[in-house]
Amino acid sequence: MNVVVTPAMVGQVILSGILSGALYALVALGLSLIFGVMRVINIAHGPLLMLGAYVTYFLYSQVGINPFLTVPVSMAALFVVGLLLQRALVFRVVGAPELSSLLLTFGISIALVNLVQLAFTSNLRTVEYLTGSWIIGGLALSKPRFIAFLFSAAVTALAFAFLKFTRLGKAIRATSQSREVALVCGINVARIHLLTFGLSSALAAGGGALLAVIVAIQPEMGSVWTFKSFLVIVLGGAGNYPGALLGGLLLGLVEQLASLFLTTQLSEVVAYVLLVLVLLVRPTGLLGGRSA
Amino acid sequence: MIPSRGAVLAALALVVAALCVYPVFGTGYGIRATLQVFMWIALAGSWNLISGLTGYVSFGHVSFFGIGAYTGAILVTSAGWSWPVAALGGGLAAGALALLIGYPCLRLKGPYFAIAMLGLNEVLRALVSYFEGLTGGGSGLSLPTLDASTHIYYVMGALAAAVTAVTYLIITSRFGLRLMTIREDEIAAEAMGIDTFRHKLAAFLLSALGPGIAGALTARDQGYIEPISVFPLTITVTMIVMVLFGGKGTVWGPVLGAVALFVIQEIVWARYPYVHPLLFGAIIVVVVLAMPRGVLGLLQLRYRLPRAI
Repeated sequence: MNVVVTPAMVGQVILSGILSGALYALVALGLSLIFGVMRVINIAHGPLLMLGAYVTYFLYSQVGINPFLTVPVSMAALFVVGLLLQRALVFRVVGAPELSSLLLTFGISIALVNLVQLAFTSNLRTVEYLTGSWIIGGLALSKPRFIAFLFSAAVTALAFAFLKFTRLGKAIRATSQSREVALVCGINVARIHLLTFGLSSALAAGGGALLAVIVAIQPEMGSVWTFKSFLVIVLGGAGNYPGALLGGLLLGLVEQLASLFLTTQLSEVVAYVLLVLVLLVRPTGLLGGRSA
Repeated sequence: MIPSRGAVLAALALVVAALCVYPVFGTGYGIRATLQVFMWIALAGSWNLISGLTGYVSFGHVSFFGIGAYTGAILVTSAGWSWPVAALGGGLAAGALALLIGYPCLRLKGPYFAIAMLGLNEVLRALVSYFEGLTGGGSGLSLPTLDASTHIYYVMGALAAAVTAVTYLIITSRFGLRLMTIREDEIAAEAMGIDTFRHKLAAFLLSALGPGIAGALTARDQGYIEPISVFPLTITVTMIVMVLFGGKGTVWGPVLGAVALFVIQEIVWARYPYVHPLLFGAIIVVVVLAMPRGVLGLLQLRYRLPRAI
């Protein structure tokens, strides 16, 4: 490519990388929680994000609520959906080989996408709430992306505070460290699993709600997010919760840099090559996760 | 009651003979459907080699099918090869990809391997869409028209038979025993002196050839391919569910599963076209929750059948 790369362009992609990285971190944290606590690989994570985006879309277009204020509603709604899924199906594959959870959640995933297609069609839908950018020191800062960034940082911080300081959060971390010892300590592990799936779905929904303000939404939008969240948690170390932050920012930066130096279409390829390299050097991720 | 070896062989010979003469009097739809069943037997049987026997869950096995399809199609359109040779080329390309990707990824354990394979599939789709000059990108690749359905029927049938025969040979060999040892306990296998990495790589290579050839044959048969038609996760999941339904780690499980699931799908899809992902999702959930051992696995457990069923 014979495009001259100026320092301002590099600054711009780093900025964009951080903005999208925060969203990746938020969504991937949810996936990481489920994997850490239950060893379940949730293919339906992206479709749950898509459901969150639809909740925001309908609250905005039908009821007229400020889309950023719908984030908690969307998260609460998907928290309930998560509880139901765990209660009805997913708990049956906890502790089973990974093939069972992969297939079961794939089944849930295509069923969810199909249901949304049937109910709301495959049309692209947009939430046009904030548009345009601020120009700061020669860098363009997209308004919706920046506010989405603030929200994702806030939600992620809240989630971490919950995990760190509350009794339930401590119980979740204890269960993810050792299921048996948690049981011995009197933690109701089945309930923690339920709570974790709900929380994870809520985090996905938060990501979806914010994404709805940034891009057009449609039923198939989720699958790429499942894949990206996997990249993030494997990069950071699966089941290592701060690792999701590092992985998210890393993926955001790598994608943006790849789109500057190569092309946007190849950003996934670059991220995948990065993943394979990381796994070769550190099979449990950058910050060290748990092995199978 | 277990039928004698002679009776089984006779029944098998009868089925093969019937399938050989079928194109002479079969309808167009019948031949086409049987061809598809052959394809699924080859795909499911191949997945069974790495994941059912060796225990490494490949969640991106459609990658080999897709790379075979594109290699075959490009060899036919750009290089002007005849389709049977191009099909071999598709198999070789898939084998090369298996070596390339297996070398780093087979060191990964459990879910990490599954995710790495899932990623491979996404990446190949992105690459194929990007290199438009060679692959036609998102608008796909058309092959010159040619009516070779009957010929492809025989070749695909031979491929399905070959994959099943190779599975039988592996399961009854020491090589197969070593693979199953890796599946049950890799560290113990290592301690017993098995070179686990080379065994895994060999099983992975074998499991890639079938889908590669099947992909090239399918590309020729359908005459048109595009990234979303040859790299969907659904194909991977379908072959997995077929193996699970029939019984993973068995010789006849993938065959039974491919036939049964194909028939179910044909009946259900034709009747309820708009909700078929929903119904497929339901089938997956039922198979995973209700019959993780599969039909043959249950029979093996109940009637103490031989390993090489």
